[in-house]
Amino acid sequence: MFYALMKKLFFYRSTVFFGLTLLVASSAVAQINGRSASNEFFLDRPESTKYAVILAGPTVGDENKSRFKQWAFSLHDILARDYGYSADTISLLFDNGEAEAVGAERIDAACDLNGIEQEFARLESIVETGDQITIYLIGHGSGTEDESKFNIVGPDITGVQFSQMLDVFDQQDMVIVNTTSASYGFSASLSSEGRVVISSTRSSSEKYDPVFSNYFIQALDNRNGDRDKNNRVSMLEAFNYAKSNVEEFYEEQGRLASEHAGLDDNGDALFSLNPTVAEIDGRLAEIAYIDNLVDETIGLSEEAIRLKSRMQDLERSVFILRGRRAEFLEADYWQQMEVLLIDLARATGQFNDQVNGVEQ
Amino acid sequence: MIKLMVLSSRAMANKYSLAAALLLTIAFNAAAQNAGQTNTGDSPLFRGEQLLMTGSYAAASDIFQMADGLDRNEGLVGASKAFAMMGNYQEAMSVVEDAIEDDDYARFPLLSTQLAEIKRSVGESRQALAILEAAVSGLADPPVRTLVQYGSLLRFVGEKQIAAQILERAVQRYNNGLVFSSEDVAMVALASWLLGNFHDANSLFNEATRANPNNLEAHALWGDLFLEKYNASDAERSYQEALDINSRFTPALVGIANVVGDERALQRALAINPNSIPAMETYGQLLLVNGREDEAQDYFERVLALNPESLKTLSVLASRAALEERTDEYERYLAQVESFSPGNAEFLGNIADAFGNNYLFDQAVEFARAAIAADPQYWQGYTLLGSNLIRLGEEVEGKRNLEIGYENDPFNVMTSNMLKVFDTLETYTTQESEHFKVHMSQNDADILWPYLEPLLEEGWDTLTAKYDYEPEGPILIEVFEKSEDFAVRSVGLPDIGPLVGICFGKVITLISPDTLSANWQEIVWHEFMHVITLQMTGNRMPRWLSEGISVWEEREGRPYWGRSQGLDLVRAAEQDKLLNIADLNSGFSGARNSADLGFAYFQAYLVVDYITDEYGFEKLVELVDQYAYIKEDDQRFDEVFDVSLAQFDEGFTSWIDGRVAEINVYVHTEDVPDEGDGHGHGVRENSSAILAELYNNASLKQHMRARIEENDRDFQAYLQLGIVLFKEESFLEAKDYLNKAYELLPSYTGYPSPPLVLSQIYEKEGNREAQLQQLELLLENLQHDYASAIILAEAALQGGDYQRAEYYIDRAIQVDPYRNDVHQLKADYADSIGDSALAVTEYEVLLKLEINDPAEAQTNLAEAYLKNGQALQAKENILRALETAPSYQRAQRILLQSVDGDSD
Repeated sequence: MFYALMKKLFFYRSTVFFGLTLLVASSAVAQINGRSASNEFFLDRPESTKYAVILAGPTVGDENKSRFKQWAFSLHDILARDYGYSADTISLLFDNGEAEAVGAERIDAACDLNGIEQEFARLESIVETGDQITIYLIGHGSGTEDESKFNIVGPDITGVQFSQMLDVFDQQDMVIVNTTSASYGFSASLSSEGRVVISSTRSSSEKYDPVFSNYFIQALDNRNGDRDKNNRVSMLEAFNYAKSNVEEFYEEQGRLASEHAGLDDNGDALFSLNPTVAEIDGRLAEIAYIDNLVDETIGLSEEAIRLKSRMQDLERSVFILRGRRAEFLEADYWQQMEVLLIDLARATGQFNDQVNGVEQ
Repeated sequence: MIKLMVLSSRAMANKYSLAAALLLTIAFNAAAQNAGQTNTGDSPLFRGEQLLMTGSYAAASDIFQMADGLDRNEGLVGASKAFAMMGNYQEAMSVVEDAIEDDDYARFPLLSTQLAEIKRSVGESRQALAILEAAVSGLADPPVRTLVQYGSLLRFVGEKQIAAQILERAVQRYNNGLVFSSEDVAMVALASWLLGNFHDANSLFNEATRANPNNLEAHALWGDLFLEKYNASDAERSYQEALDINSRFTPALVGIANVVGDERALQRALAINPNSIPAMETYGQLLLVNGREDEAQDYFERVLALNPESLKTLSVLASRAALEERTDEYERYLAQVESFSPGNAEFLGNIADAFGNNYLFDQAVEFARAAIAADPQYWQGYTLLGSNLIRLGEEVEGKRNLEIGYENDPFNVMTSNMLKVFDTLETYTTQESEHFKVHMSQNDADILWPYLEPLLEEGWDTLTAKYDYEPEGPILIEVFEKSEDFAVRSVGLPDIGPLVGICFGKVITLISPDTLSANWQEIVWHEFMHVITLQMTGNRMPRWLSEGISVWEEREGRPYWGRSQGLDLVRAAEQDKLLNIADLNSGFSGARNSADLGFAYFQAYLVVDYITDEYGFEKLVELVDQYAYIKEDDQRFDEVFDVSLAQFDEGFTSWIDGRVAEINVYVHTEDVPDEGDGHGHGVRENSSAILAELYNNASLKQHMRARIEENDRDFQAYLQLGIVLFKEESFLEAKDYLNKAYELLPSYTGYPSPPLVLSQIYEKEGNREAQLQQLELLLENLQHDYASAIILAEAALQGGDYQRAEYYIDRAIQVDPYRNDVHQLKADYADSIGDSALAVTEYEVLLKLEINDPAEAQTNLAEAYLKNGQALQAKENILRALETAPSYQRAQRILLQSVDGDSD
């Protein structure tokens, strides 16, 4: 496939500008026995653009309406505030598009078939190869398997229909976060190689309104979900953050959990409940970030660029060692890890000295 | 016989006109009988069975006796059963006995078996045995029922080997395909049960009830099997199925009463059959549990008059004699049982059970061992032995015995439940302090233990010194994360009601505070106090006094612990619901709901408070000492207080009157007691607050204002009015009413209380100082509030008042040590005062609790280790943080510091 080949070439031609991209992608690669296509997707180039489409369907009852609205608006604001999205790169299709509501300036269109089709047509006209589209579904779902639907204004849309609408974006990286009730069947229809699909439920029988969305958005807010402290939140991190908090929510309530979120990023439509980079699902989600990579080398001295490169090499070595942990005795593993981490810490200190010197 | 009945009816008709109708009916029946049919056209046997099945026992007894020809013997058996169901055992015997010609029992096996069954039920086991022996030995193929009843009776009289052979014959008959009727299948089920094949028995009862869903006996026996195995839900279902067919079937009514303790079911059973021995036995036991000993004794005497061989009643009476160390009396009961049922393991097992239920575990173990020695195949004995050993802290031997019980009787729910708890315990860790050994989950070991250990040792030091008594240790404490495990470990069954901790003398079981919304430290203190009072008296403390002292010591432990139930006291005094000393135990055993149980604890506390207030603490200890000896309460109170029980009660009542006058609030009749879980350990919801949900604000305000007009000391009216006005944001007026409510009853701690609502008003008004002041007032009396303690701790820390911050952080931990925010606060506090060791403890706990940012938590811990001079631990933790987040610069700096002291 041309796109795949092109991406591969792009990957191997990478320069120091894409060092961090490479680093993260390679880390995933390093943890995989054999090959997957993960290096062809989510290359996370500074020049690519990331788009977000929030679809918030209709609901009945003030409580649900208020909750869905709060989630949709919060997500919109967080993406704009913390992740550099603009009015051009973020779209909100909300209920019937109510223009009079408080905060309605965020709303771009109604969440109906026409609104969705128009939004995807608009996106199709502006996206470029390698851009990333994140689609976030809020609201109610229903049905099972092929008949699974996302409730929108007017006739509901099935997963199969929705999947067909996404086919045009075969040159873009895609993340779909489906947080509706009974989201599983719909989400499964969207599974495809190179896509990260997150479903707030693991089966169609989980029909109660999930709280997953609340915690997923919380993970993005202020980068709460950033577990590896790289100041970015990957889909895997956001998923794990939300999942842990959902579990705690039900435990605190003393209730049996009525939702179990799953993630699929290898296109097999089977959702892992505990995705990690060491498992079948998780490798792609780990390098799928919600925000754009910032080129951190602009304006640096040669020595600083050398040190940055050294830091990236060391960081990659840490990831590689971490991925091969099972091959080592515990003591040997930590001995090697300590050497790498001390080197990395010292290199970082020297880099900071350099940068501060440049600034002075 | 029919003629006689007609004559007799005629005589009655002359006297009572109402009976004339009956006479006509019977006469008609008699006429119909002449034609071999009843007035419905059915045969008397068929009609009699229908009447028996639906509970028309009198009519059934008449109709059955009309059966003739081939149906005659079956009819007489039916009549005998009908008489027995009405408690007319003499008639039940004579109606069959008269028909057995020349006492040739083998010629009339059905009649003989029925006769033997009735004789056995009225304590004539020897004669019953002789009848069945003759019937079985005289027939090549005795009926299945005859064989099973014979086998059962042989077991009862101690002939276990022969019994097994006879019962096996019945089972073999079934295996050979020669048992067809539902009634006989039920008998084979009974034989399997008696042979210890419980699963077979279960399957056969199932088969019997499927073959004939109207087989009441099978349903009831199946229920009995479940009941014996502590499977209450299936037992209840079986009994209920019988009662759905015949609501007057007394064995099922008694069964239901055994399952749910329903006194009305027993009253109904006795209304149907005033001589029902099982009903009277069960009733007697129920009354005994509720402390109504005289009434219970009446029932037991009536039972023994009807059946001197009643094993259950003799067990109860012997247990009481043994418990009260009336050795001669116990020996007499034992000899009585030995005379008709030598070596009866069940009798000894019942006594072991009674000792266990009375917390006398050493003696329970002795009797359980004796029961097993009497019959090594008495599997319940191993369960009794195991469960009581566990309560003595002898876990290894306890488990071994439970395993023997389970291997041979896996049907026993109690045994399997208790063994499952051992599976849970295998995943737990054991922590030890100087005087305690604690089994708990790893989570609790990480989070709870740092706070539990000092509390336990403080409790030991304080209370052993105060009571001048050092209990035998180490005290074993088991902290269960699942309430089902706690319940099973405590009582063998998964439902224990509102209890949150139980003390057995040397062993305490607790629900993990992780599952509670209550002050867990108060609970631990309370339970440890039981260790002292139970051990001081050899576990002979009455429950009321033990609970009373434990509750009393709560407030002695911390001024804000204990119960503040002023409203309940005033209400109880007004309604004259305070119990006399002699009845205090029934306040616990007879509690119908959580509110009743909570008040029982409170009244027990009041009695202890009265004793210490009126007579002094030393007298309380003297009273406890008195319970180490067996004597009457009258004597104990006389020796300690120099007053009779009645005088003591009088003194207590007048003291209560003084307390009520001191509280001086009015309790309106429409208000009900506050409700809460944990019988007083935990927040109690203000039940009157529901009014605000039921009425609109205007009506409620009008109503409450009218109540205040009526009585200006109506606390709840002020409080409810304040709450409504707060909701309406009429803050000024709300504050007036809430302040008045607070003045009336400052110790009120129901939810919501005046200080809580006032604090919310001040918060809305932005008056931080007044808000905090109200929260302080709230916490003066309320020990279960986490959120208020956190707010006060944060404010104190911000204001640099570290002593105050420490106090409120501790108050929050007392309620919930499993939340991040309180540990973060404590870590901040530790950092603020430069206590690096404390900071390490807190960051260690925080690491266990953190789910969102483990790298940050690990970095904080590493930093704390570094400050505490623990460079190696710092390095280990920071490496783990950096493994996840290699580019985290703060962590990198700590790594370098930990390896070479670099700061950058």
